[in-house]
Amino acid sequence: MSEQNNKDGKPEGGRRGGLFARLRRPSARWSLGTLLVAGFVVGVAFWGGFNTAMEATNTEAFCIGCHEMYDNVYQEYKQTIHYSNRTGVRAVCADCHVPKDWTHKMIRKVQASRELYGKLTGSIDTPEKFEAKRLQLARREWARMKAADSRECRNCHSLESMNSEKQQQRARKQHEMAREDNMTCIDCHKGIAHHKPSGMTEQDEE
Amino acid sequence: MSKRAMAAMELKRAAGAAGLGLLCMLAANPAAAAAPADWNKVPATSVTLFYPGVAAMEWITKGTEHGGARALRKGDACADCHSEETAKMGQLIVSGQKLEPAPIAGKAGSIPVQVRAAHDGDTLYLRFSWKQPKPAGGARMDDKNPVKIAFMLDAGKVEGAGQSGCWASCHADSRTMPGAADTKKKYVKNGSLAGGVFYDLVQWRSGEKKGYDGYVADARVMEGGKALVAAEGKLDGDTWTVTFARKFAGGEGDVTLAPGQVYNFGFAIHDDHAAGRFHRVSLGYKLGIDTKADVVASKQ
Repeated sequence: MSEQNNKDGKPEGGRRGGLFARLRRPSARWSLGTLLVAGFVVGVAFWGGFNTAMEATNTEAFCIGCHEMYDNVYQEYKQTIHYSNRTGVRAVCADCHVPKDWTHKMIRKVQASRELYGKLTGSIDTPEKFEAKRLQLARREWARMKAADSRECRNCHSLESMNSEKQQQRARKQHEMAREDNMTCIDCHKGIAHHKPSGMTEQDEE
Repeated sequence: MSKRAMAAMELKRAAGAAGLGLLCMLAANPAAAAAPADWNKVPATSVTLFYPGVAAMEWITKGTEHGGARALRKGDACADCHSEETAKMGQLIVSGQKLEPAPIAGKAGSIPVQVRAAHDGDTLYLRFSWKQPKPAGGARMDDKNPVKIAFMLDAGKVEGAGQSGCWASCHADSRTMPGAADTKKKYVKNGSLAGGVFYDLVQWRSGEKKGYDGYVADARVMEGGKALVAAEGKLDGDTWTVTFARKFAGGEGDVTLAPGQVYNFGFAIHDDHAAGRFHRVSLGYKLGIDTKADVVASKQ
């Protein structure tokens, strides 16, 4: 079917004339409003799809899909209070290791693509290799958390809202000191979810 | 007899009479230098001793091992965080879960003790009473003495004593610690008798029925102190009561006590024929003579 030219001789739909012409006059068949609404709906669908796919990579099931995580840090995490406790309120991998707000989350996700490289090269794919690298990996995470002022911990825990009366003596004293000295959660709570690595120095203890 | 001889005799007689009079006065006036007549009227402080395992000062001050190292560096006392949980700590350690490579089955993790203190102006009286825990049986480390109790005093000279009581004498290389030489006794950092850096150590042993007054400076010396005047203990059913009488002033290796002052204080019980590190210990506390402290000795 040949194109129908309008009176000016310019082709309908602006195929000849390139992108700019297309932008100026996108369609004869569909109205601007229709195009906008359709675009909006498709945009939402794509965005939603993108987000769903990305959030799928934040689930516990996704993280422990890799044996490096399942065999090592997941087994350790299962012994801790963040895995199972009286009230059943949990913190899974992403709750501590992936920021909740969009900008920081995107940055972290891009940084985390190095993990795909690590998976391909098998950098920690045996228990021995994992233990050898544990201190380095732990220090990286501690540094990240400290730089963010334990942002992920504070998603759920608030130092200001801690009820000192409900805390045991030792916890009360330590948190008082944390408030006094403007400390951040990860300063003391290393090892809260996974075993502490061997070879830690006094410097690691902030 | 010459006049001079008669005068000398008179003088002797007078002196004799005066001496006798003084003796009578002392004997007839026990309140002048004696223990409280009714110990039950003296208020008691409850202290729970606990089993310390291998928790030497080197471990305690290491941040990667002990979360309280930071608080210690800031000047907090051990009791500030731990005073309410000594029984739990003792249980955790004695069961071998933490800080105990060679747990002894059946050994009690903690012993609650009642401490009473009083003084009469020149002598400090300390009474400790506690219920004997069930013996674990097993090998006897100290065959002669089923029970020993000791306390240490410091006038603020020993580094760390203000925070930890007697713990500043506990080191990873002290005898009975894993890998330690049997000859290496307790010591304190920069310990020196001449320099005044020492703990005054007083102990009572049940088998020998004897009190010991020594000190811990660069090494532990059990005897030579002049302050201890009496130490006696008795077992009533399953309750021990041990009372010490210690003069305020002694000699070398004795901390001089004075009213209005506060001293660093800690004590420990070796029960069940234990020796070395296998005792139950107290956190660091303060002993005050007529002044506010964890344990107060008031004038009788």
